[in-house]
Amino acid sequence: MTLILPTRRDLLATAGGGFGAVALAHLLTREGLADAPLPNPSWPLGGLHHPAKVRRVIQLFMNGGASPMDTFDFKPALEKHHGEALGPKEKPEGFTTPAGTVMKSPFPFARHGQTGRWVSTVFPHQAARVDRMAFLMAMKTTTNVHGPASYMMNTGFMLPGFPCLGAWVSYGLGRIVDDLPEFVVLPDPRGLPYNQKGNFSAGFLPAVHQGTVVDLGRSEPIPDVFAAEAYSFAQGDADRDALALIQRVNRRHAASRPHDTRLEARIAAGELAARMQLSAPTTFDLAGETPATRAAYGLNRKETADFGTRCLIARRLIERGTRFVQVWSGPQGAVDNWDNHGSIPNELPPIALSVDEPIGGLLDDLGQRGLLHDTLVIWTTEFGRTPFAQNNQGRDHNGGTFVTWLAGAGVKAGATYGQSDDLGYQTAAGTTTVHDLQATILHLLGIDHARLTFRTAGVDRRLTDVHGHVVRDVLA
Amino acid sequence: MISAVRARFLPSSSTLLDSAPLMTSGPSLAALFCSLRAWWRALAMGLLLIPIAVTDADETGDRALSADVEAATAKFHAQVEPILRRRCLSCHSHAARTIAGGLALDWRSGWQTGGGRGPAIVPGDADASLLVQAVRHSDTELAMPEEKLPDSEIAILEDWVRGGAVDPRVLEPEHAAADNAWWSLRPLIRPDVPGADPQKNPVDSFLEQALVRAGLPPVGEADRRSFIRRATFDLHGLPPTPAEVSAFEADLALGAHQRLIDRLLASPRYGERYARHWLDCIHFADSHGFEHDVFRPHAWPFRDWVIGALNDDIPWSRFVRAQLAADAFFPEDAAAVAALGFLGAGTYDHSAASTAPRSFENLDRDDMVTQVMSSLASTTANCARCHAHKFDPISQHDYYALQAVFAGVGKGDIGWDADNAVAAARQAWQRVALLATTSPETLLDDPQHVSLVADWESSGKHRAVWTTLMPATFTSASGTELKRLDDGSILSGGTAPERDVVTVTATGPLPLMTAIRLDVLTDDSLPQRGPGRGRNGNLHLSEFELRLFRRGLTEPERIEIARASADFDQQGWTIGHSLDGNPATAWGIDPQEGRPHYAVFVPAAAVTVGEGDVLSVVLSQTHGDMHLIGRGRLSVTGGDPDAAIALPPAAEEALALDAQGRSKPQQAALAAAVLGALAQRQLKTLPAPQKVYAAAATAVNERGVISIDPPREIRVLNRGDIEQPLEEVGPGALVAIPGLTARFGIAPGAPESARRAALADWLVHEHNPLTWRSIANRVWQWHFGRGLCDTPSDFGRMGAEPSHPELLDWLACEIRDSGSLQGNSLKRLHALICTSRAYRRASTWSPEVLAADPDNRLLARMSRQRLDAESFYDGVLLASGRLDDTVGGPAVAHFTQRPGAQLTPILDYDGFDWESPNAGRRSIYRVVWRGIPDPLFDALDFPDLGLLAPVRGFSSSALQALVLSNNRFVLHHARALARRAETAADTPAAQVGRMVQWTWQRDPTAEEEAEFVELAARHGLEPVARVLFNSDDFLFVD
Repeated sequence: MTLILPTRRDLLATAGGGFGAVALAHLLTREGLADAPLPNPSWPLGGLHHPAKVRRVIQLFMNGGASPMDTFDFKPALEKHHGEALGPKEKPEGFTTPAGTVMKSPFPFARHGQTGRWVSTVFPHQAARVDRMAFLMAMKTTTNVHGPASYMMNTGFMLPGFPCLGAWVSYGLGRIVDDLPEFVVLPDPRGLPYNQKGNFSAGFLPAVHQGTVVDLGRSEPIPDVFAAEAYSFAQGDADRDALALIQRVNRRHAASRPHDTRLEARIAAGELAARMQLSAPTTFDLAGETPATRAAYGLNRKETADFGTRCLIARRLIERGTRFVQVWSGPQGAVDNWDNHGSIPNELPPIALSVDEPIGGLLDDLGQRGLLHDTLVIWTTEFGRTPFAQNNQGRDHNGGTFVTWLAGAGVKAGATYGQSDDLGYQTAAGTTTVHDLQATILHLLGIDHARLTFRTAGVDRRLTDVHGHVVRDVLA
Repeated sequence: MISAVRARFLPSSSTLLDSAPLMTSGPSLAALFCSLRAWWRALAMGLLLIPIAVTDADETGDRALSADVEAATAKFHAQVEPILRRRCLSCHSHAARTIAGGLALDWRSGWQTGGGRGPAIVPGDADASLLVQAVRHSDTELAMPEEKLPDSEIAILEDWVRGGAVDPRVLEPEHAAADNAWWSLRPLIRPDVPGADPQKNPVDSFLEQALVRAGLPPVGEADRRSFIRRATFDLHGLPPTPAEVSAFEADLALGAHQRLIDRLLASPRYGERYARHWLDCIHFADSHGFEHDVFRPHAWPFRDWVIGALNDDIPWSRFVRAQLAADAFFPEDAAAVAALGFLGAGTYDHSAASTAPRSFENLDRDDMVTQVMSSLASTTANCARCHAHKFDPISQHDYYALQAVFAGVGKGDIGWDADNAVAAARQAWQRVALLATTSPETLLDDPQHVSLVADWESSGKHRAVWTTLMPATFTSASGTELKRLDDGSILSGGTAPERDVVTVTATGPLPLMTAIRLDVLTDDSLPQRGPGRGRNGNLHLSEFELRLFRRGLTEPERIEIARASADFDQQGWTIGHSLDGNPATAWGIDPQEGRPHYAVFVPAAAVTVGEGDVLSVVLSQTHGDMHLIGRGRLSVTGGDPDAAIALPPAAEEALALDAQGRSKPQQAALAAAVLGALAQRQLKTLPAPQKVYAAAATAVNERGVISIDPPREIRVLNRGDIEQPLEEVGPGALVAIPGLTARFGIAPGAPESARRAALADWLVHEHNPLTWRSIANRVWQWHFGRGLCDTPSDFGRMGAEPSHPELLDWLACEIRDSGSLQGNSLKRLHALICTSRAYRRASTWSPEVLAADPDNRLLARMSRQRLDAESFYDGVLLASGRLDDTVGGPAVAHFTQRPGAQLTPILDYDGFDWESPNAGRRSIYRVVWRGIPDPLFDALDFPDLGLLAPVRGFSSSALQALVLSNNRFVLHHARALARRAETAADTPAAQVGRMVQWTWQRDPTAEEEAEFVELAARHGLEPVARVLFNSDDFLFVD
C-alpha cells in the first residue's frame, strides 16, 4: 500500500494562499527536501521515512581519542604481553611516533551491573549504570589523525565542508519548537575542538542548520540574542520599538511584492527571533535547579562543575525542545583532553573524573524526568589509542578499534556488539564503522540514512557517504 | 602473445574493479543493497573471473574461436539484448540512472561483478546463475521482474547463459556512447543568432525566442532607481550614492544604461566584487582549516592578482594559464607568479601532512583536481577517485592522470624576485640549502661545491675556539631547580614543569663575540640520560634570544641572530625554528637522545662586550610535555664567524682524517654542514622576495621547506585506497573530449611545471567545450543569480541541463573566439548582458508569469536577490560613511586574537574595535578564517570554504534575524549612520530622508517618513538606522 502524502513542493506552491509563514520558513530552510514526503502526522515521535523512536539527542564527545583499554575494553592480554614489542615495525600512517612496546592498563578493572561489564576504576559512575547502556565495542574509523577523524565522526567525511550529524538531523526533521535553536553545541570553555567550528558546520546545507555554539564562559552564551549594553539605543523601549518597526516595514515591503516566499520567511524569522529572546535566558539560568540535582551533576565539585553544568544545560535544552545537543569534553591541544600521548596514568584520570559523575547525573536525571523515552544519549570519541606505549606511559592515536556507547530511547539496554582483538589494536568481530553508527542514530530518529540526501556539485550527498548499516543488535 | 593478453587484461580488469558497486562515492542507489562482505566477495570473484572471460571471449587472435564468437555476438544482439533492454535495463542500467541492488546489466562487467549477491551469471551454468533464478521466479526473494517473463524469453536467456553468456558489450555504457550526445560535451559551435535584427542585443534575441515559444509576455522595464541599484550592487557589490541615482535618473539621452554600465565596469570596485565570486568557486581563504587552522600571511597577493586580472580584463585563456602555470607560461612577468595562489587556495591538513603523509598527499592532490576541474571545466572528475564515474564518461585512469598533473607540487609560500640576478642567486643557494638537508651526497657532484668546502677547511675555519660562559645568574620561569656544575653547565632537577623559560646571564669573557654556542649534555639524572627532560630524553628549544646589558643600563640591547646550525636536527624540528619567533616550532633532537648535541648561533654583526657588560641568554622551551633542556652549557668565540658551524659527528670524523681517507658519507656530512651554513649566510644577504601562498615544486610553510622533486609516481588506486595501487599513470585529463589529447606525454626529466602547463593548454583549447561553457554560464549566474545551467560546477548527467543551450553556446563562443563581438573580453560580455532588455526588466511577479514559469527559467522578469554577506557589509559601510576604499594589500583582521592551545589561535569577532584603522576596509580585504568564521557572515550564508562554493545559499532564520539586529558591526554602524545624518541635515525629517536615501536609494514615502521621525523623536536616530539596516528594502535588490 502506498500512501500519497503531499510533498513540500506542493505546499510551497500554495504558499501564497494563507499557508502559515512560520511553517513556510521551516520549509524554506529545508530546501532540497522539496520532493520528500512530509512526516506522517500519526507517528508519535515524528520521523522522515519511518516512525522515529528518538526525538532528541545528546551527544557527549570525548575530544582527543579516549583510550578504550583503559576505560571500557578490558584486555587481560596486555598484562601478559606487557613490555613486548608486538606493534607494527613501520610507523603506521597517522601514528605520531613508531609503536612502542605493549603497555598494560595502569587501572584495575572490575565487573559491574547485571551484565557484568568490565569497567576500569576511572569511570565509577558510568560503571554503576552500564546496564542502561548498549556498547559498540569494535568501532573503527578511517584515519589516525585528529582533524580528519573528528570530521569523520561528525560529518561522515574526512574533509572539511560537509554537514555534520546535527545539521543533517536539523535539515531532515526540522524544529521541535520555534523559540530555541534546533542544534546546539556546548564546547569546552577551555577551547574549541580540532577543526574548530568545522565540526558543527552545515557544510553545503543551508546555513540555518549549523550548530549554534553556546559558550557558557561568555556573558552572552548565544551571541547576538541581545544587543551589547554599550548600544543603549538597542535596549529597552528603543529596542522594542525598533524591532516592531522592522517587522512593520518588512511586512509592507512584502505586501507590495506578493508571491516572494523569501520575504515572508524573513518576517516569520523576525517573529521567531522575538520568541527566542524570551526563551534563551531562562534556558541557561540554573537558579531553579534543586541542590540535589546540582549535586548529582557534580556542580559542587571543582573538577566536575564545568562538564556537569553543560550536561545540565543540555538537559534543559532538550527538555525545552532543542533537538540535538553536543557536549564536548576537552579542547584541542596537548593537554586537558583525551589525547593522552604523554602518560595514561597521569593524564587520563583527571579528564575522566571531569565527565564521569556528570554523565551519571545526566542519565539519572533524564530517566527520572521521563525524558529517556524519546531521548538518545551517545558517548563518542574520534578514535581510540594504541595498546603500545608512547613516551613510556602514553598511548598514540589508533583508529583500529574504540568504544562508543548509546543509552536511552530505542536502545537495547545492556547490549554489546563487537569485540576488539586480544590486544585491543584492531577490531576482531562485529565491527561498527563510523557510518554504521551514523546510520543507526538516523534510523532511531526515523530517517533512512540512504535517503537523506542533498544534491551538491553533481552528487547526492549523504551523511554516510555511500556506506553505513544500521546496527540492529543494539536496538530495542 | 602473453604480453598482448596482459595488455588487454590490465585495463579491463581495472575497469571492472572500478565499477564494483560499493566503491561508489557518488549517488547511493548502487550501494543500497550491498553489504561490505558481499562486496569483498565480488572483488575476489572479479579478480578471478576476468582473465578467463577476456581470454575466452575476447582474444580474437584465436581464429577458430573467432567465428563462433561472431555468431554468438550476432545472436546476442538479435535475441538477448532486446530482452534485457525491455525487461531489465529500466532498473539496472547507467542510462536509467538506476543500478538496483548494485547490479548493472547494460554491459558485461556489470553482471560479471554483480550486485550485492555477487556475479549475476555463471557462464555455462544457467541453474547457478542468479539472473536465471530471478527470471524464473524460483526464489521468492529474488523474483525479477515483478511481472514474470514469458517462458520463451526465459528460454532465450537460459540458452544464452548455457552457451557461455557471450556479451560483446565490453565498454562501460557511458564510454561506449562516447557521450557526445550529452549537451556539455558536444563540440562548441557558434549558433546563429535568431531573427535578423542586427540592432537587437543577441542576448535578447535568444531569450525572446524562448518566451515567444512559451507564449509568455515579458514584464516591463525596471525604473531607473531600481536599475542603478541592481547594476551597482551587481557590478560593485555596493549601493549607488544618491548623487549617482539622481544623475542616472536625469540622464534621458539615448544610451544612458550603456554609459552607466561602462562607468561601473571601468571602476576598480568591479574587480573587488567579482574576485569574490571566483574565490568562492575555488574555496580560497586565509587559513588552512582542519586541526591546525594556521593563518596564511601570504595568501593575499593571489586575491590581489585576481582583482587586478579582472579589472585589467585579461582574456580567460590567460586567466586560466596563469593560475595553473604562470611559471611556465609567463616567466617574463614575475608578478604573475602570484596567480599560482590558485593552486594553494584550498585546505591544508598540517597534522596529517606530518603524521600521515601518504594519505595526506593523495587527498591534497584530490583537492587540487577537484578544484581545477570543477571551477574551470564544471566537471566532477573527483567522482572517479574510487571507481569510474557513475554518470559521466570519466574513468579512474582519467582521474589519476589529473592527479599526476599535481604529483610534483607542495603547498606553501613561494617567492619571486623582480631582479633576475637575485632570482638566480637565490635559486642556486636555496638548492644548496635543500640538498644539505635532503641529499648531502649530491652536493659532492658539483666541483664548485667541493672546492668551497676545501677552501673553508684550508683556511682553518673549522678550528673555532670556544670559551665557556660561566653563568652568573640562572633563573627558571617555572621554578625549576637549577644547579651550576663545575664545567659551567647548568643541570635541571626537581619536578619537571610542562614548559619553561630559562634565563642565564654572564659577564662576557671575550671583548668581541662573533658566535655563541649551546651544548646540551647528557646526565645520569635525566630520563634516558637526556639531554632533555622529555620522557624519551628529547628537548624542544622554542626560541633562542640573546641580549646584552651595557654596563649601567637597565634596558638590554637585543642582539639579532643571523643564522644557526646544529650538529643534529630532529625531522621537522630544525634549529632554524629556534629563531623564527614562532613559539609553536622548536629545535629537537629525537631520535638521537642519550648523547650530547650542540647548536651554534651567529649574530648578524660581531658584538663588542665591554667590561661590566652582561650577556643574557633566554632559552624558551614552551612546547610543553616537559620537552626541556636537562643540562646545558653556553660558550662563545671571537674568531671568524664562518668557523662557527655546528658539525655533526660524521663531519668531525672527516676533519680528523686526511681528505683521501674520508668515506663518502663523511665527506657529505662535512659538505652539508659547511655549505648549509654558507647558503644561510648568502641567502640572508639577498633582498627579501615577495611571497604568495601557492603550490609549487618547492614551497615553504610552517612545517619547513616542502619539496616534492621528482614528482610522485601516480598509480590508479583500487577503490581509491592507497594500499591498493594498480597501474601507473602519467599526467593527462579526460579522454571524453573529442579532438584533444588526453594523455600529455610529458618527457621524463621535463620540469614539473610542464605538467600544469599541459593541463592549462588542454583546458583552454578551442575544442574543449567545457571550459568556455563553464565561464559563460558563471558570468550569467553572477548577473542573474542563477546560471543558464543551474549547476554551475557540474555539467555532467547529475547536473542540470541549460535552459537556453544556444544562448549559452553563443556566450561561450564570445569568450573563446578572439574574432567575436566581445573578443575574449569578460567586461564586454558583462556590458552586453547588463544592457540587455532581460537584465533591465522589472522584478514584478504577476500571478500569470509565476504560474507559467515559477522558477523564472525563461526570464520574463528579473529575479529579486537578497544581498550576499559582502554586499550587506560593504553597503552598511558605505551608507554610514565609513567605507575605506584602499585597494589591495595584506588581509585585514576584523577580530582580536590570542594564542590557542596549539597552532590555531582563539579569535574574538566581538572584541574588535570598529574605530581602529582598517575597520572600514571592504569585505574582500578581510581575513577569512576557514574554521572560525565571522558570525555575521555566517548568518548571511557566507559559505563554508572547506569545500568549493560555486553557489551562495539563501537562508532565513531566527538567529539570522537576531544577528542582523544585534551584531556589534550593525549597531556600531547604525550609530555612525545616525551621526552622518545629523551632520548632513538639520531637521528630523531631513535627517531621516538622507538615511533612507543612503540605504534604500530612494526617498521615504510620507508614511515611512512619519514612522521614522516618530521613532527618532522617542529614541534618537540610531534606532532608525538599525531599522534601515534590518529592512528588506535594504537587504533585497529588485
